[in-house]
Amino acid sequence: MTTLTRQDLNFGQVVADILCEFLEVAIHLILYVREVYPSGIFQKRKKYNVPVQMSCHPELNQYIQDTLHCIKPLIEKNDAEKVVVVIMDKERHPVERFVFEISQPPLLSISSDTLLSHVEQLLRAFILKISVCDAVLNNNPPGCSFSVLVHTRDAATRNMEKVQVIKDFPWIVADEQEVHMQEPRLIPLKTMTSDLVKMQLYVEERAQKT
Amino acid sequence: MDELYLDNIDEYVNDHNKIVTYKWLSLTLGVHVNTAKQMLYHYLDHKRKESSAQLHATYLVSGKFVDNGQASHKVSVVREEQLEDFKAKMSLIVSVHVYSVQKALLKDSGPLYSVDYDAVKDNLRNCSKFSAISCPSAVPMSSVELQQAREIQRASAPEPEHKKPGMNGNVVNGTSKPPAKPQKGIMGMFASKPAPKNQDSSKDGKSEQKEDAPVVDVPKSKPAAKVNPMMNFFGNQTKKPEKPVKEEKEEAAQSSTTAAVEERQQHQSSQSQKRQEAAAVEQPKVSKKDSGSKTKRIEDSDSEEEQMEKKKRRRIRKPEPDSSDEDVIPDSPQPVEKKERSPSPKKAAEPVSHSHGNSEAKTRKRRRVLKSRTFVDEEGCIVTEKGYESESYSESEDNSKTAKQAPKDPAPAKPPSHKQEEKKSQKKSALSANKGGKQASIMGFFQKK
Repeated sequence: MTTLTRQDLNFGQVVADILCEFLEVAIHLILYVREVYPSGIFQKRKKYNVPVQMSCHPELNQYIQDTLHCIKPLIEKNDAEKVVVVIMDKERHPVERFVFEISQPPLLSISSDTLLSHVEQLLRAFILKISVCDAVLNNNPPGCSFSVLVHTRDAATRNMEKVQVIKDFPWIVADEQEVHMQEPRLIPLKTMTSDLVKMQLYVEERAQKT
Repeated sequence: MDELYLDNIDEYVNDHNKIVTYKWLSLTLGVHVNTAKQMLYHYLDHKRKESSAQLHATYLVSGKFVDNGQASHKVSVVREEQLEDFKAKMSLIVSVHVYSVQKALLKDSGPLYSVDYDAVKDNLRNCSKFSAISCPSAVPMSSVELQQAREIQRASAPEPEHKKPGMNGNVVNGTSKPPAKPQKGIMGMFASKPAPKNQDSSKDGKSEQKEDAPVVDVPKSKPAAKVNPMMNFFGNQTKKPEKPVKEEKEEAAQSSTTAAVEERQQHQSSQSQKRQEAAAVEQPKVSKKDSGSKTKRIEDSDSEEEQMEKKKRRRIRKPEPDSSDEDVIPDSPQPVEKKERSPSPKKAAEPVSHSHGNSEAKTRKRRRVLKSRTFVDEEGCIVTEKGYESESYSESEDNSKTAKQAPKDPAPAKPPSHKQEEKKSQKKSALSANKGGKQASIMGFFQKK
C-alpha cells in the first residue's frame, strides 16, 4: 500500500493520462450526441470495453488532441479546475455547456489492483450518461460549433501564454461573451468519486435556444 | 406480482434517466427475465395510456426471414417506429418482446450494450440465474477439472487458430458484403458466416461476447420438430461425422453454441451427449419469449455451410476413431500440422536439389584447397603431408545446408564427373563448409542444442 503525494509527478501523469483519454472520448461523444457535426463522420470504436462514437475527420481529431495535449500539464499539476465543452450557436453565443469539474485529492493511495478497473467502471458510467443526456436537454439550433474552455486555479495560465505547448496552437483568455450564458439551467449528469480523482459532470443549458 | 415494480421502473426511467433493459431489470430486481419483460411491457402500456412523458422503447424481434430465397433466422433489436415495418418483412415471427425502455431517443445501439455490461459483470457467477435458457448438466467445473481443461486447451489452441483463417477466408469470399462489425475471437469465426443485411431497417444487432461463457446458449425455442436438427448439430460438435446440415439447422444461435461447445472440446463425448439430450428436452420447455441470443446472424446458402462443415469434419474426423479421449486432443493438431508441413519440406527439397544440380552443371570450378594426404612411403612409414590440391567444387556446396541435404537426397542430378571424386568433394566440402563458417569459440562446446 503506497501513499503518494501530489508532488509525485509520476502519479500525476497517470491521472492526467487517464483523464485526458476520457475527455477525448467524452468530447467526441458530446459532438455526436448533440449533433454538432453530422453523424456520418463518426465511427463506432471501443473504449473501456463499450462501444463509443469517435469521429474520423482528421482535422477535428487533431484539434481535439492538441487541445487536450495543452490541458494535460494543467491537470498534472492539479491546476485545472474545470474543463468546459461549450456549444455555441451561429452568433457565438453559448447554448450549452458541458462542465467537467475535476478535483484531485492531495493524498493518493494506490491500495489495490482493482483501483483502475473501478475507475474504468466509473468512466463507463459517465459515457453512458452522456449518451442519454439528450433526454433532458432541448435540441440545439442548427449550425452550432464548439470550443473547449479551461478554468484554472490561480493564474496558472500565465505560464501557458508564455510557453506555447504546441506550436501555432495558442490559448487565449476567453471572451466574456463566450463564457457568460443567459439564463442557464443546470442539469447535473454524473458524479464520480474515486481514490484517483473526483469528477462531476453537469450541463448548463440556455433556457431559450433558438 | 405487486404493483411496486411499476414505481420502480418509473423511478429508473424518469428520475434517474436510465436505460432500462429487461436483462438489467431482472438482475436488479431479482426476477426471472420473462417476468422482467412483462413488467416492462405493462409499464409501457400504463404510461402510454396516461400519455405522460415521452418514452422510447426498443424491441427484440426474432423469426424466420427469407431473403432472395435464402431462409435465415434473424434476431434483431429494433426501434419502436421500425417495429411494424420489420415484423412485416419476416415470414415467421418467433418472438417479440420489449428490449428496453428509456426516455432518450437513442441514436445508436452502443448504450444498450453498456447498460448490461456492468450488471452482467457484477453477477458473473450467476448471471444466468434468472435466465430462461438453462442446461442442468452444465455445472461449473471444480478447480482440478479447470486446471486440466486449461492445459488441454493450450495444447489444442493451435487447432482453432488454424480453423479461423480457413473459415473466414472461405466464407468471406462467398458473402456479398463484408460484415460491418468487428470480428472478435470466436464470434468472429461465425460472424463471418452471416453478412448483415437490412441494417437500415433495424438497429444494429449486437455481437456481444458476454463473459457468461459458462452458460451454454441453447438456441431459441423452436417447435419440437426442430429438435432433431439441433441434436445433429450437437452431435457434429462432438466429433461425429454428420450428414450435411439441413436448412432448418441454420439457426442463429448455433454459432454461439459452437463457441460455447468449442471451449469445451475437452469434455467427454458422453457428457455432450447428455447435454444434447438435455438441450433437446429443454427446447419444448423453453417459453416463446425467452431471452435467446442477441447476435444478429444471417446464414448464407447451404453450400457454404457444407464447405465449412466439411472443413470442420476434416479436422475433427482424425481423432474421431479414437473416441473423444482427452489424450487424443493434443494429437489432433499434429496430424494437421504434419500434413501441412510435409508438402513444404518436399517443396523446399525439390528446388534445393534442383538448384544443386543446376549449379553443379553450370558452375563447376576448381580451387586450391589445403589438404593433408596420408600415404605410405618407401620405407613403409605412414606419412601425412599437407599440400595444396586443386579440387573441383560447385557454388552450392558452399552452403552447408545444401551440403547436408545433398547426401540425404537419394538421387540428385549428378554432374558429368567422377562419382568418387564427387563423393569425396561433397564430404570434404561439407567439412570445409562447416569450418569455413564462423570460427568456433570455446563456448560453442557449452552451447545448448
